Amino acid sequence: MRNAFLIYGIAILSAVAFAEYRGWSLNRVDEVLNVPKSVRDNPGSYRSVYGYYHHYTGGK
Amino acid sequence: MTSSGPTPAGAPQVKALNCPSCGAPLTLRSFSQAVTVVCDSCHSILDAQDPRLKLLQTFNVETGEHPPLIPLGTRGTIRGAPYEVIGFQRRTIQVDGTFYSWHEYLLFNPFKGFRYLTEYNGHWNDVSVLRSLPLGAPGARTLNYLGGTYRLFQTCEAETSYVLGEFPWQVRVGESAEVSDYVSPPRVISSEKTGNEITWSMGEYITGRDVWKAFKLAGDPPQAIGVYENQPSPLIGHVKAVWKLCAALLVALVVLIIGFYSTAQNQQVFSQSYSFNTNGKTEASFVTDVFELKGHTSDVELSTHASVNNNWIYLNYALINEDTGHAYDFGREVSYYSGYDSDGSWTEGSQNDSVTIPSVPPGRYYLRVEPESDYYHGTLYYSITVHRDVPQFSFFGIAALAILIPAGVITWKFMNFEHLRWAESDYGDSSGGSDDNNTPGTAAAIAGGIGTVAALIEDVVDLTDE
Repeated sequence: MRNAFLIYGIAILSAVAFAEYRGWSLNRVDEVLNVPKSVRDNPGSYRSVYGYYHHYTGGK
Repeated sequence: MTSSGPTPAGAPQVKALNCPSCGAPLTLRSFSQAVTVVCDSCHSILDAQDPRLKLLQTFNVETGEHPPLIPLGTRGTIRGAPYEVIGFQRRTIQVDGTFYSWHEYLLFNPFKGFRYLTEYNGHWNDVSVLRSLPLGAPGARTLNYLGGTYRLFQTCEAETSYVLGEFPWQVRVGESAEVSDYVSPPRVISSEKTGNEITWSMGEYITGRDVWKAFKLAGDPPQAIGVYENQPSPLIGHVKAVWKLCAALLVALVVLIIGFYSTAQNQQVFSQSYSFNTNGKTEASFVTDVFELKGHTSDVELSTHASVNNNWIYLNYALINEDTGHAYDFGREVSYYSGYDSDGSWTEGSQNDSVTIPSVPPGRYYLRVEPESDYYHGTLYYSITVHRDVPQFSFFGIAALAILIPAGVITWKFMNFEHLRWAESDYGDSSGGSDDNNTPGTAAAIAGGIGTVAALIEDVVDLTDE
């Protein structure tokens, strides 16, 4: 059991080290490929995934 | 677990005899040490020291009586010395109208003397008579013996209900003794009180498999049922080892954290302030200057600070690689509300927000930003800051939990084992004992478990100090 736990622990430490090194995050971000270079000249032509987000207007 | 000790020798040796009641042949294996011998044909208890084998008692045997698991005459090796099984008896106690029985095998070695094997529900003990008295009065809650502390587990009136073979004392079916067991797994000290005489013995838990191996018995031993009073927890060594390892892994994790926090770039690669006229008629979206993300593939943290108060701003972000056109698209809302009501002042939200974009390869990037808000909020001011290669503590927290959980589960299973042990005690919850001073079994188990865990923690601290 000790050896199994040792292997498990080393695997955990290795995984967290790899995740940190590669900059993994728990956040989810959408990726879009092949955005045309023309966006720099015409930013309004880009359609954001979150363009129709329902905005919270909170407060009591 | 034993009755009175051996009677001094003096009787003539008896080797091969016949039962005076039924004529069946009798075999004596302990020579002059035998005081009584039982005929296994007619179940007469005979005086082995009388040349005429005087009849002392006869007893009835119930139909379906199981023979000894280790047949009389079987020889085996216990603690490096050969022993022969010469006697067998069943002891029975009654608890709340239910009878419980265990079996005792009397072993003999001409040079080593007598010792016993006891068996209950597949649990075995190697028992020998103590040569010195333990510290503590009979009936006390704890005893001390050779530096060990033994806790009272049960006290009962045990009756001999079946005998077979030969014994170095005047055995009788129906004789009873007050038996108290003190446990310190894997050992148990038992006191047996008959009249004014008290015999102390010590047992050590052994597995049925070890017994079978010692006596070279065929087949498999009966499976152990439940948790026995002095059965060592199968996890006790593992709990200690796993907690020590857990401590070492946590130290390694802390080293890892320090290493990543000290070597991470955490470099600010972009920072700019902007204003947004919510009532503007022109295109709100814009792109930032190009900034470079250096080093290996790593995360990017984008922070937004907006001077919002009782309003909000929503920012559609796209982090776009200028060369490949690969974009990371996300939206962030910054909102802050405050006020005062009958409950007092309140706030909701924050003027600051940050988000981590995972695994962004190095390259030249720019941000495409599209702010949104209600048209009547006027001009909103906000700033954007981008950092490269920022350590994420969340993974370290998850790793710490992942390391602690198995150790916690093993400790819980260990404490559950102790709970099951003490649930069988006279001094446990389920006993329904009448003694008001009884220690509750759960409390005893928890106390025992906590004590063990505390000892383990001390060991770990010592290890760390070293």
